[in-house]
Amino acid sequence: MNIEILLFKEIVIFPELFLGISIIYLVLHSTFLAIQKKYPLIQSSVLYLSILVLIFASFLVYNEHLNSVEMSCLNNTYVSDYISFISKIVIGSLSVFCLLMMHSYILTQQINNFEYFLLFLFSVLGLFLLCSSNDLLTAYLAIELQSLSFYVLAAFKKNSTFSVDAGIKYFILGAFASSMFLFGSSLLYGLTGSVSFDDFQVLFVNTFPGQPVSNIAFYEVLEESFHDTCYSVCVTYPDLIWLFSTEIGTIFSIFDCQYDVRETYVNFNYLENSIGLDSILNSSFDVSLIKFALIFILIALFFKLTIAPFHIWAPDVYEGSPSSSTFFFSVVPKLAIFVLLIRIFYFSFYGFVDSWRHFIILTVIFSVIIGSFGGLNQRKLKTLLVYSTISHMGYSLIAFSAGTFESLQMLFSYLIVYSFSGLCIWSIFMSTQLKNTYTQKQNKDLTDLVLLGKSNYMLAIFFTTVLFSVAGFPPMIGFLVKMGVFLTAMEASMYFVALVSILCSVVGTFYYIRLIKILYFEKVLVGKLYYPINSQCSVLITLLFFLFLFLFCNPTLLFLVSQKLSLLIFF
Amino acid sequence: MIINSLFYIFSSLLLISSVFVITSQNAIFSVLFLVLSFLSASCLLFLLKCEFLSLVFILIYVGAIAILFLFVVMMLDLKNNSKKDSLKYLPFGFIIGTVFLTEILLIVKETFKTNPYKTNDVLYNFYTNWYDKIDSFTEIQTLGQVIYTQYVLQFLIAGNVLLLATLAAVVLTLNHTKDNYKTQVIFKQLSRNNKNVLLI
Repeated sequence: MNIEILLFKEIVIFPELFLGISIIYLVLHSTFLAIQKKYPLIQSSVLYLSILVLIFASFLVYNEHLNSVEMSCLNNTYVSDYISFISKIVIGSLSVFCLLMMHSYILTQQINNFEYFLLFLFSVLGLFLLCSSNDLLTAYLAIELQSLSFYVLAAFKKNSTFSVDAGIKYFILGAFASSMFLFGSSLLYGLTGSVSFDDFQVLFVNTFPGQPVSNIAFYEVLEESFHDTCYSVCVTYPDLIWLFSTEIGTIFSIFDCQYDVRETYVNFNYLENSIGLDSILNSSFDVSLIKFALIFILIALFFKLTIAPFHIWAPDVYEGSPSSSTFFFSVVPKLAIFVLLIRIFYFSFYGFVDSWRHFIILTVIFSVIIGSFGGLNQRKLKTLLVYSTISHMGYSLIAFSAGTFESLQMLFSYLIVYSFSGLCIWSIFMSTQLKNTYTQKQNKDLTDLVLLGKSNYMLAIFFTTVLFSVAGFPPMIGFLVKMGVFLTAMEASMYFVALVSILCSVVGTFYYIRLIKILYFEKVLVGKLYYPINSQCSVLITLLFFLFLFLFCNPTLLFLVSQKLSLLIFF
Repeated sequence: MIINSLFYIFSSLLLISSVFVITSQNAIFSVLFLVLSFLSASCLLFLLKCEFLSLVFILIYVGAIAILFLFVVMMLDLKNNSKKDSLKYLPFGFIIGTVFLTEILLIVKETFKTNPYKTNDVLYNFYTNWYDKIDSFTEIQTLGQVIYTQYVLQFLIAGNVLLLATLAAVVLTLNHTKDNYKTQVIFKQLSRNNKNVLLI
């Protein structure tokens, strides 16, 4: 194999290769710059260099023409399809925006280490790899790369006890979640002998939902009259034979057994049957261990997504870590983890949809209730946004649990709108820096934004619009996607979940509106003073605001992209 | 024959060094005996042709954990050298030890079978170690062939994770500010001798 063929074959991974190599180059570059006698402050230059690297990486992702529906390389462990394409572009642009917005904050907080930005780059590399990982091993390594850099980002301000505390909490719970993920994957590997999502799909996508009969009885029936059954099935339903043989393969979790069955089916020469088709359709194998493993994986990913019973760490960690890190945690990584969830549960284990749906619906109700009621008596803006995140993750899980094409479409449009509105809120949070005596204290109470409507009129209008959109008020894009989520829940006959989450959404609107009240109608004489926003930040915030207006005027763009994505997942 | 004698040498070394880990008075000596016991255990694994496992054993246990113990023992300024306590826990430990020993003996009795043929029987010589007859790769060769071809992406990601971990450890521990350093006082360090340190 000469070098050109190799390059052409593996070109799919080019953005990640570029990102990884430029991270190493940046490490060398900034180490040689920083380790001089006088320790020059190079954080601005490293910030802009890493933004440049991210823009180039996103451009390389965009440049990758998807001529085929799906292209996998490196022994089918890395797949490049439309879902990874779109989510990588969204993640790349989100992280570029994040890094641009946090510049002034970092200057005031005096985070002088260049490594801070390299950690962001590492986590973006992990998220890119997570979006297109096609087996459990790659997914685990990508999650580790991403979350290891997040732990350090949370603990980065060493002189603040809160930050170190947040880092340790995040590390312990994240390591716990990773070990759960590993346990679930090792169970799956033990049951099937493979970690590839494609193999799982071949094995499990056609499983019957139904009551499991005991394996031994099923096996005895099989041995007695197996060939007859196979023949009749084969004559009447040619498709079903593959499905049936798949099941037998999974009962004993050995691939050989599966192939044996198929060979006997080829070689048979019996005629009439002794057990009918009905008994096959009604019988199915015992999948409880697979369900067990899947629930472990689900819990691990829910820890990363801050879904409600697994959310306890989130308010402390998000409040304690530096605001620029919190900005990144709450906006960027959710989309990639949802991509992994879709790859596992829609692509590979779609046959188990009835098994995992109950569990997800339970967590949905938990997280919607906790997200709406927990935020009611919060006085810190960051904690409030964490509870808002929890409830939004609950809404997107509603769409995830419905299990139809429309639900996937709604899930993606909801996640994209959620990420961009979170980006806008956090940008406004970062750019209103209070003029107080302690310049390093920038964890805002709600009252720190009092009378922003008087002191910075346009910023308050932008903030209000985005808050209305997040709360789901009718003309905004947030309303459209939230309504779409509830509609998909109704179409999947999940009326109770839809009812509970609509009611909780009404409750959750309270704290968004309270923020608007604080912005405009508070009866105080003197508002707060802020440092002026530099032109770069203001241009970006205005751009984000116009993006919202554009999506409101023309939501078809979002819906078309997400529909194409949802239609292409199953292929 | 050589392998058998090596097995006896290393297993007796393992037993002796692990006894010394418990009985030695000096904590540093016991950590060093722990390292010796890890080394002899990994040599036993080598004899069983688990090369990768034994090398990982040396790397992780000796290279990381035992050195960590050594640091901890050196950091704690222990001067407790009473010999009374060693006999106090003897009955308790004896009971637990006998329980585990009987369990192991029971398992050995259940699972291992002796050769059913008598020693002077003709059939006794029919025993063949088939593993020796197969021309096979060693473990490390196999792993290397798979890692650098099939799992090259995962290998690269793992390398990135390691780079990130190194970077993070440096960032979180390196302290540029001069005010609250913890440094060793050279005079105090030099004035120590074996009389006043680390006796348990």
